[in-house]
Amino acid sequence: MIKLSGVSKIYKTGTSALRNINLNIDAGDFVSIVGQSGTGKTTLVKLLIAEERPTKGVIEIGGWNISRIGSGDIPFLRRQIGVVFQDYKLLPKRTVYENIAFALEVAGESRKRIHQTVPQVLDIVGLGDKSSSYPFQLSGGEQQRTAIARSLVHRPKIIVADEPTGNLDTLNTGEIISILKKINEFGTTVILVTHNREVVNHLRRRVITLQGGEIINDEEEGKYRL
Amino acid sequence: MHALLRVIKFALQDLGRNISLSFMTVFILTLMLLSVNVLWSLDVLTRQAVEAVKNQIDVSLYFVPETTDKNITDIKAYIVAFPEVTDLKLQSREEVLQSFKDKHKSQPEVIDALQELGDNPFGPTMIIKTKEPEDYKKIIAALNAPEYEKLIEAKSFDNHEEAITKLQNITNRIEKIGFGLAVLFAAISFLIIFNTIRVAIYTQRVEISIKRLVGASNWFIRGPYIVESIIFTILSVGATIAIIFGALQWIDPYLAVILPNGFSLTNYYYSLIFPLFGIQAAAVLLLTIISSSLAMRKQLKV
Repeated sequence: MIKLSGVSKIYKTGTSALRNINLNIDAGDFVSIVGQSGTGKTTLVKLLIAEERPTKGVIEIGGWNISRIGSGDIPFLRRQIGVVFQDYKLLPKRTVYENIAFALEVAGESRKRIHQTVPQVLDIVGLGDKSSSYPFQLSGGEQQRTAIARSLVHRPKIIVADEPTGNLDTLNTGEIISILKKINEFGTTVILVTHNREVVNHLRRRVITLQGGEIINDEEEGKYRL
Repeated sequence: MHALLRVIKFALQDLGRNISLSFMTVFILTLMLLSVNVLWSLDVLTRQAVEAVKNQIDVSLYFVPETTDKNITDIKAYIVAFPEVTDLKLQSREEVLQSFKDKHKSQPEVIDALQELGDNPFGPTMIIKTKEPEDYKKIIAALNAPEYEKLIEAKSFDNHEEAITKLQNITNRIEKIGFGLAVLFAAISFLIIFNTIRVAIYTQRVEISIKRLVGASNWFIRGPYIVESIIFTILSVGATIAIIFGALQWIDPYLAVILPNGFSLTNYYYSLIFPLFGIQAAAVLLLTIISSSLAMRKQLKV
């Protein structure tokens, strides 16, 4: 599903964020990518959604080489990968419903399909009664669930969650992780980037550990080892 | 079609949800257009005023009473041949006498003096108009030939020469100042509009990057701003037209007094409403689209 071969990323400032990354993630996997701040976790996410291009190496997603993807193709890639960010990245002047519908509208989905799909994903994340609320009217956990609903709405095969629980308390963290596990049970590949030890240890899934821009550990049913 | 309708919907939503910023943008665009139109109107009025003064100026040739009809016909043919001459009127001796009497009918001593002379003391008069005031010099110089000089008792132009030169200088200066002001104003307006739109887009930079991250194409992000530019243009040009025509209703009666040739700014704007405001609308639309495109370039790199 996702294959990185010899991927390195050096920023214009000279900072080497990732070095010679070789990685395979199969369809339906739930992978946690862990590491301390500045180890290249977010750079890896940015490479996967083509926000950055690798300096060296090849990135393939579903057989599509996105290493030198053209800017016109980026929207099509992003419609196939659901992304969840630590800071939610919700459109502040749109309601919960509109935020989720927006991801379908940009993909050219019909109004009928949008009306059918948005309530369904809102129910999955437990926000059926908040559809007309604005982001500022929601708690952190509710905002993150909205972001997850948005990432789910076009039924992506991959969900990338970059520190989704970074701004949340323990209770909300548990809820978000439960939702991600549920999504994974439906067959969606989930890549969870985190430095939350409890979350990783509780999941008992594959763990990839980054340090200094390199993979230092990759184990099935792994634990947070730093 | 779906996409276009959605782009229009997003544009209207953005306008409504950023109503104060939208209002400010339309307000500044309207101010810019009003300033341009005020400057334009001043230029038109100056030209009309100069034209009105120019129309008052002519050269009158007063012939000696002994001048024959043949002399007059020859001189007329000679003068009409000049391409600069736009009009030539001839007054016979009798018409000149009658005109003199009409002019001085309230002055019995003048009329008495005229009657004492017995015979008509006036010769025929020729009134010449040219395209430009400076053309008179050429006509006068041509009439200084000895065969004409002995027939012409007086020329009225000498009295106007200084006034015409001054008027010409003032006109040229006004045109230069007007052009300078127009250029300065256009530059200031461009910078104000550019920065207003840049600020408007800067405030939405997070939204733009989020739209990119959820898979919106550049067209889907740029589209609403283009639609907003069209709406800003329609509103600002519409407001400008309404304000200008409203103001002209009030100004025109005063202009009718100042400009006796029946010139009306309202009629002038009506006659040029499509080209004049069409060009302004095109300029505003271009300005807003270029400004938003330049301001958005950085945000679209996400």
